Amino acid sequence: MKVFVDDRAVEVPAGTSAMDALFEAGRDVPYFCSLPYLSPIGACRMCLVEAGSPRRGQDGQWILDDQGQPKIFWLPKPMASCTLAASEGMVIRTQTDAVRKAQAGMVEFTLLNHPLDCPTCDKGGACELQDRSYEYGYGASRFVFDRRHADKHYPLSDLVVLDQERCIHCKRCVRYFEEIPGQEMIDFIERGVHTFIDGYEGGLPSAFSGNIVDLCPVGALLDNVARFRGRNWEYDHTATICTGCSVGCSVTVDARNGRVERIVGRDHPAVNERWICDAGRFSHALEEEGRLTTPLLRRGGELVPASFDEVLAYLTSELVDVPPAQIGLYSSSDITLEEGIALEATAQVLGSGHVDHLPRFSQLPALPRPTLHQLAQASAVVIAGADLGAEAPVAELRIQEMLRGAAPPPQFRHGTAIADLKLTERMERHPERLAIFSSAPTSLDRSADLVVRGDPQAALSAIAAALEGNAQAASPYLSAAELLRRPGATLVVGSELQAAGGLRLAEKVARSSGAALLALPADSNALGLAYLRLVPGEGGAAYGEAILPVALVSRCRRLPAQWPRLLIVHDTTLSALAARADVVLPAVSGLEKQGTLVNLEGRLQALRPAASEVGEATDLIPALGLLLQALGLRSPVRGLISAQRALAQRFGARVQSLPPEGALLDLGEPFLAETHLQHQPEVGAWAAAHLAAARARAAANRALEVAK
Amino acid sequence: MRYFDDKPELVAAILAKYPPQGRRSSLMPLLREVQTALHYVPAEQIEEIAEIVGVTATEVRAVMSFYSTYSTVPQGKYHLQVCATLSCALAGSDELWDDLCETLGISPGEVTPDGLFSVQKVECLGSCGTAPLVQVGELGYHERLSRQDLHALLDALRRGEYPGPHSPLPVFVHSGQQEDAAGARHGAELKPLGENL
Repeated sequence: MKVFVDDRAVEVPAGTSAMDALFEAGRDVPYFCSLPYLSPIGACRMCLVEAGSPRRGQDGQWILDDQGQPKIFWLPKPMASCTLAASEGMVIRTQTDAVRKAQAGMVEFTLLNHPLDCPTCDKGGACELQDRSYEYGYGASRFVFDRRHADKHYPLSDLVVLDQERCIHCKRCVRYFEEIPGQEMIDFIERGVHTFIDGYEGGLPSAFSGNIVDLCPVGALLDNVARFRGRNWEYDHTATICTGCSVGCSVTVDARNGRVERIVGRDHPAVNERWICDAGRFSHALEEEGRLTTPLLRRGGELVPASFDEVLAYLTSELVDVPPAQIGLYSSSDITLEEGIALEATAQVLGSGHVDHLPRFSQLPALPRPTLHQLAQASAVVIAGADLGAEAPVAELRIQEMLRGAAPPPQFRHGTAIADLKLTERMERHPERLAIFSSAPTSLDRSADLVVRGDPQAALSAIAAALEGNAQAASPYLSAAELLRRPGATLVVGSELQAAGGLRLAEKVARSSGAALLALPADSNALGLAYLRLVPGEGGAAYGEAILPVALVSRCRRLPAQWPRLLIVHDTTLSALAARADVVLPAVSGLEKQGTLVNLEGRLQALRPAASEVGEATDLIPALGLLLQALGLRSPVRGLISAQRALAQRFGARVQSLPPEGALLDLGEPFLAETHLQHQPEVGAWAAAHLAAARARAAANRALEVAK
Repeated sequence: MRYFDDKPELVAAILAKYPPQGRRSSLMPLLREVQTALHYVPAEQIEEIAEIVGVTATEVRAVMSFYSTYSTVPQGKYHLQVCATLSCALAGSDELWDDLCETLGISPGEVTPDGLFSVQKVECLGSCGTAPLVQVGELGYHERLSRQDLHALLDALRRGEYPGPHSPLPVFVHSGQQEDAAGARHGAELKPLGENL
């Protein structure tokens, strides 16, 4: 339908809000309460416009004015454009004096009780209220009375602090918890000017609580880990990908003076929308604990700092009699494709079959993988042997979206709809569309009608039988089979099932029901690495399965069953494994690397290094180069550029020039091998460790203060 | 035992008033029941109501804190609300308030030892023509209240007698003249502009 915004005509689909119509037309209104993916409620009254529509008379024809044009019946008062539906022929004025005055008046209202904290506020410089006040306000306040005073350091949880004075009551955070993770946590308490936000459930017991910090338009909700660590203009922002799990959420990593201080979610409409989990947001501080910045060499039984030259000299002398084909190379599955192809090339140069990456699964599904977008639009989802909260938390949010029937959000030229009128508060959820089969409780249990505790493989067998018509009447397996038969259904399988070798069974169920199959990879790049030859070759030993003369182990925390005689560990911290190594090489973390990752959809996404000080830490490629140099060998992949060239030859795609949204590419045939080194989902278990570390740090700081 | 444990019929009757998708609406009558019976809503009953309705305790608090009808601190049997907005202030509500607090020996948030009275200053009760004004719980308005009237009211309440609301007619003004209860007019008449010159 056609809508006229000021002097511009714009075509928008029916159901569009006036706000999205005017943004589509290239106009602008200020807003605080609307937000893409959240329901529009018209709370802040900032997006006021003048609007009117033509009407049809009783004859069904437009009522005409004196000039023979459809007569515009103006709404008597300025309207909040976020909750106003655009209609055929609607005329919207955004630039009149009345609109400017109304918006400026609302700015003044909003600022009545807002403290002048900007010089000490963490949001300063990136504050929607600051920006909108500057753009739309009068520039002065006529309010001469005392401002409202309230608690400025009110901890909503260990991770999120509320400054009650700064809150402008936009209700984004309240709506977020109810609408996105579906966990009601906080609400408005009291009313009018006394309104504040609080919850009585004991902290914010959600795995997605940090998102309210990103969406707060003012500095009321603050990341307690990054609080007072830097001003927004001091941060070096790096748009990259979270390497915590296989979802591959888009994040912005903010570093100051060479230190990662903060991670915020970044909008990727196809992957994480704009949400990230608390593990991805807050665990960077934990990653920083005890980082290695120089190589360590064992001398006299002790690991002591050494230079790379000393390490090279040591390795050269130690490796003299070692046959290269007996050297083991093992890496964790969160390395980039570039590091992976360097590892593959190194193994080939060595002629060693002792190469593996872990955790991984023995099999990959042969069916096409559904995207997260398809998951969010599935008609039904059956989860077997997966705890999404621990394995791929943000995928859980996409399933919540599926339960609300909210996907896909409309897209416009300005991005995702800012005020999608299809979304409302407390939308009806459809728990009957979700079934979960797992042996342990999972975080999604509360949202599903059908939850069966028990062996997921046995459950899938029963579902397979039900699909073949061999089920007893009215069993949960029959219900699950019926869910899977719905057109557009998806079967999600995770580590519990895949570790037990149940993937072929899942494939059979998916094939016979017609459902899509989403098998969660074991780690953030386990799917991508499966397409490189990184599994034990002929006669090769898996990690810790044979006593090798030498092994280089990168970032595996698991202790091997059999220790090599000379252990080289490449890791970010002095882990239990590194503490027993002969040589420790410092590694960069996932936030500090450049490269390419493949997420659970098969989407290649670029990883960019945050501006953090890493000392002499490197990614895996130089560590492999050092080993080869000590042996007097040379690999064709010696750096990022040659790795990218090798990847281009292998996959026929230039990974260095991926589009911002990543690319879903066909990577060919995977290399598979049996493994017993299964995935231990731990994304969800970070919080306790993080908090213990944070408290220890706080205690250390206090001790330092006392000492001063 | 919790408040609603022995009142299944009452709970069922309240819940039956609303359709299943409107179950949350039963928050209001449930809160009211507790407020009326206990003169406040203790934290334990907030949890209990949340459980009955199937919402979070946070939401129950959000709803009840919006309405001044519900209190989270104990109130007396008679909650005396003194209007302190402009018309009443001009008509002496401050003095009335001080007298009330002194007589009862309590401040807002406290209850007299006999459990009968609590006091609260409130904003406009909408009866400016008959200021000053005190509202006794939900029983009624006592308007154009003098100190003697107030003491008589307190005495009656202490005896367990509620004399009923007292709402005298407001003073009507016609052409600048005040009309008394008998309809007679007093004072100078306001003439159309210019005639007084």
